[in-house]
Amino acid sequence: MSAVIEIAGLRKTFHTLRQGRRIAVDGFDLLVEAGQVHGFLGPNGSGKTTTLRALLGLVRADAGRMRVLGAESPERLADVAGRVGAIVESPQFFGNFTAHKTLRLLALAGGVPTARVDEVLEQVGLRDRGDERVKGYSLGMKQRLAVASALLKDPQLLILDEPANGLDPAGIREMRDLTRSLAAAGVTVLLSSHILAEIQLICDHVTIISRGRRVAYGPVAEVLAGFDQHQWQVRVAEPERAVELLGRAGLAVIPYHDHLVVTGVVDPELISRTLGEQGLWVRELTPLRPDLESVFLELTGDHPHPALPRQVDGAPPNDGVIDLDVRESREVDA
Amino acid sequence: MNLVRAELERLAARRFVQLMVLLLAVAFALTVATTLAGSHRPTPVELSRAQTQAADEVRNLELAHDRCLRIKAGTVTPDENDYLPRDCAQIDPALMDKLPSASDYLSGVFVFANEAEPLLYFLIAFLAMFGFLVGASYIGADLNSGGVVNLLLWRPRRFAVLGAKLGTLLGGLLGLSALASVVYLGVFWLIGEASGLTGRIGGAFWSSLAAVWVRGLVLVLLAAALGFALATLGRHTSAALGTVAAYLVVWELGARLVFQILSVTRPDRFMLSSYLAAWLSGEARFWDNDACSGDIAGFCDGYYSLGWAPGLVVLLALTAALTVGAFTAFRRRDLI
Ligand SMILES: Nc1ncnc2c1ncn2[C@@H]1O[C@H](COP(=O)(O)OP(=O)(O)OP(=O)(O)O)[C@@H](O)[C@H]1O
Ligand SMILES: [Mg+2]
Repeated sequence: MSAVIEIAGLRKTFHTLRQGRRIAVDGFDLLVEAGQVHGFLGPNGSGKTTTLRALLGLVRADAGRMRVLGAESPERLADVAGRVGAIVESPQFFGNFTAHKTLRLLALAGGVPTARVDEVLEQVGLRDRGDERVKGYSLGMKQRLAVASALLKDPQLLILDEPANGLDPAGIREMRDLTRSLAAAGVTVLLSSHILAEIQLICDHVTIISRGRRVAYGPVAEVLAGFDQHQWQVRVAEPERAVELLGRAGLAVIPYHDHLVVTGVVDPELISRTLGEQGLWVRELTPLRPDLESVFLELTGDHPHPALPRQVDGAPPNDGVIDLDVRESREVDA
Repeated sequence: MNLVRAELERLAARRFVQLMVLLLAVAFALTVATTLAGSHRPTPVELSRAQTQAADEVRNLELAHDRCLRIKAGTVTPDENDYLPRDCAQIDPALMDKLPSASDYLSGVFVFANEAEPLLYFLIAFLAMFGFLVGASYIGADLNSGGVVNLLLWRPRRFAVLGAKLGTLLGGLLGLSALASVVYLGVFWLIGEASGLTGRIGGAFWSSLAAVWVRGLVLVLLAAALGFALATLGRHTSAALGTVAAYLVVWELGARLVFQILSVTRPDRFMLSSYLAAWLSGEARFWDNDACSGDIAGFCDGYYSLGWAPGLVVLLALTAALTVGAFTAFRRRDLI
């Protein structure tokens, strides 16, 4: 498989008069291969948008190498720009133009046949309102227009920074279907989003960034597997006895008020046999698999704290750096 | 080329541009209407009376010149009403660029030859202001609304994108200005023909008017480039307006006062407005306070002048420097 996006050692520090230096991206790596639908996750302020801006030549990187569709960025970006559709953090459009005109001008500037305009407006569901001024659009409609602008080039690579921002549930689903159909047509998609369930549904690969660094990457299933503690939810008629029996068999059991959780068991047969042999029949035996949300929160150290509001950019409670390195080495490259 | 076409559409679709063009049209219509209302075709009687008046005036000038020559020659003694220049050639009507003519003695008659130049200056002033404001707001609004970022995602060549914008701006403005001035002068010429006088519009008249026109168009383009460059440097339309306001207050007013207090020689040399005036009118004359301080006795010409050439050099250098600066800054800048 060929690499579509390669980023190695990207570093970007913003210098502002008031705050001084702010390290936005700190030696970040990213690899997206052709045909992937790649999720790009990270807490607020972790450097996602900055990474994408640097990749697209909008901000100047301090260090690192970047390639898009094989072309060095930003030096040779112009060679491939016609094949890269991108939206970066809620693009703004000129409010006095209609959606139709906005897209037509972009198509004109980019040398795309203007007939595409109607196609993409249809695709994002703006066909009937394409002749209205953009300033009268709702947030979700503006977002759809942004997606339409990215689709206009009929891109090989689609970079979408929070495309679901402001979309209604139906819009999110349409977005999902659209992404899938594009992927099926062979478009590589890099997608950043905070809706983790959504990412888990659409993406086959993920990269998780935290405070400017990559903390996990790989196929979604593998990243999740790396966090699988092999837990099982068990329900029986006599939980106290079950705790005792399983404990005697050397299993780690945590009792909850109406069920038990057994940890570290690869084959659930062990549980049902241990209990069944003593005449205790299992009523429910459910695997507890980690989802992307729990993995994300664990990795980025952003477990919600009951008492304190979490601070953007704040250091995680247990500065998880060592942990994360271990996890990263555990991942298998596809 | 496509980039330029897209930019031209964008420019034409801007509310501000449309508003200013409308304003120009309204101002134009008002001037035409008032001119038409206040002018009539002179009757033969009026015309011949005016011609006699003009001829009388020319005769008076000739008499005064003769008298001057005779006084200098000692054949006549001067009385207190006589104006005696050092050299009588200064009041020789044969050497004057403009002799009194019948059109000067007609009231309520629009004479194109007399009015064309001031009318053109008015148009140039409007267009220069228009160019500056449009230049600044065009890029300023685009930088702020994310239009530039959107465009760069399509064309990741910053020089080309900014260059296309500036080029389109200047080209469009030049077209509009040329068209507007031709229509403007054309309409007033027609008014002169139909309901007034065209006056003496020979080759000399047209060539001097053409010179003003060309200088005016250059000024309009310079103003637009300046607004564009300042707004690009400051990332905001208001940066351009602020810079000009600050320059006017701090330098043209403040520094002028300071120069006066310190009695600096020829302070006008340091003012952009002097070079502007010099370029626009071909030559600007300024009073030099020190020139005649030692000279109590005789005649002293305390004026010095700036020609159009230094005017152009200063304005061009300033605009070019700011434009180069703007392009350089834009190339390196993080666009958020
Ligand atoms: N123009 C800028 N000037 C100064 N600091 C900036 C600038 N842009 C971004 N940053 C800082 O860089 C860090 C990363 O910001 P970035 O926008 O990349 O985060 P993000 O991952 O996209 O967050 P979000 O999920 O909220 O969109 C933040 O700490 C932010 O404050
Ligand atoms: Mg972001």
